[in-house]
Amino acid sequence: MAEEGQVIGVHTVEAWNEQLQNGNVSKKLMVVDFTASWCGPCRIIAPVLADFARRMPNVIFLKVDVDELRSVAEDWAVEAMPTFMFLKEGKIIDKVVGARKEELQMKITTHATETAAA
Amino acid sequence: MAASGFEGFEKRLELHFFGDDPASGLSLSHHGLRLLDSGSLEDVLHAVQCTIVSAVGNQYFDSYVLSESSLFIYPTKIIIKTCGTTQLLKSVRPLIVLARTLGLSLGSCRYTRGSFIFPEAQPFPHTSFKDEVVYLEESLPSSLCFRKASIMHSKVGSHSWHVFTACDATAEMAVRPVPDDLFTIEVCMTELDRAQARKFFQSPGRVGKFTGDSAGRAMTALTGIDQINPAALICDFAFEPCGYSMNGIDGDRYSTIHVTPEDGFSYASYECVGSVYDDLNDVIRVLRKVGQIFRPGTMSVSITCPSADSWTWVARALEPLGLKRRSCNMDEFPEAGTVVFQTFTMTTARRK
Repeated sequence: MAEEGQVIGVHTVEAWNEQLQNGNVSKKLMVVDFTASWCGPCRIIAPVLADFARRMPNVIFLKVDVDELRSVAEDWAVEAMPTFMFLKEGKIIDKVVGARKEELQMKITTHATETAAA
Repeated sequence: MAASGFEGFEKRLELHFFGDDPASGLSLSHHGLRLLDSGSLEDVLHAVQCTIVSAVGNQYFDSYVLSESSLFIYPTKIIIKTCGTTQLLKSVRPLIVLARTLGLSLGSCRYTRGSFIFPEAQPFPHTSFKDEVVYLEESLPSSLCFRKASIMHSKVGSHSWHVFTACDATAEMAVRPVPDDLFTIEVCMTELDRAQARKFFQSPGRVGKFTGDSAGRAMTALTGIDQINPAALICDFAFEPCGYSMNGIDGDRYSTIHVTPEDGFSYASYECVGSVYDDLNDVIRVLRKVGQIFRPGTMSVSITCPSADSWTWVARALEPLGLKRRSCNMDEFPEAGTVVFQTFTMTTARRK
């Protein structure tokens, strides 16, 4: 079950597919953080993302390690980290590449509102 | 020239490390310095008096846009470039200590900078090149026994190039494998074209609506900076009320631009990595594009390369823009190799 207010770590392809399915059904905005344990910029943005998750329980936040879920990262053409993919009902609607706090905040707010209105 | 203002000219530090275990080598799985935790990094930057405003990494390295310029972290190499009144050299000792926690030792150090527009405003140890060199000498381990400091002058009084390098015996004898085809280009531009400089001010209606990274993105597109290397991923940031920084990442190569647009002390820098195996036309196109974007009154180009090469292509790249070469200076430095320092000034008649 989705835990509200937290960034959910996805560690297997099965869990990934399950999360995508949940997102589809709930129609919530889903933000996926593609991250790597050896990438400094990912560590910088982690607390910022955790804070967003706390403040916006109506958005699903997922975290995917590109080494753990290599096939998913490749399928989604992730080359730089962190990469944030925005999904709504299974479709990619936006993305942010890099630890760009303001752009991230702006896009989460915009897309979360749109989803609620839909 | 204004009586005082923001100092655009950067201080640049490059540190190369090596692992204790030669057998571990430099395999990609060995992430080295990239594993330094953000708290430790932020502590070092605090000592320098700057903070991280944006960042992005790829499989080869991490890049950070700072409040006062840029930081690049490779597994065994750190490059920090800071402007204003930051005390960059204060990062040397803490970085050496942090690297040791990862089993890495310092092999070589390179420090370069142009001439400050407002030298009196600089805090210690940046009060003079002599003070900087003494501070570096005291901060570096004695194993870095091959050292050289030199100021390369030019016919343009306001543009000189200060270089200090140091390395240990193994680096000097090239025992460790170091890529010998790569060169670094450091470009410093002053008296920027006013119309171009205006593009780096946040428009009044924008402030609050578009901030920092979003405003930076708009400037990158507006100025054509995204056309310098279309293959690069750009991490950009716009400062309030003016000023701009960007890091470009393209494979294992970085590029970086910093702009202080205010009239009276306007400044812009461009830095990138090239290879002697690159198509020369591409490098010429890049340098020419940089000149076109900023149209500076004065431009200095410093190239550091392990092998001596012909650098006449720089003048060829810039002449069509009306930038005429005024001087060319060359010198050899431990580990770094050859440093070629050239200055150019805009001939008013051709300034379009």
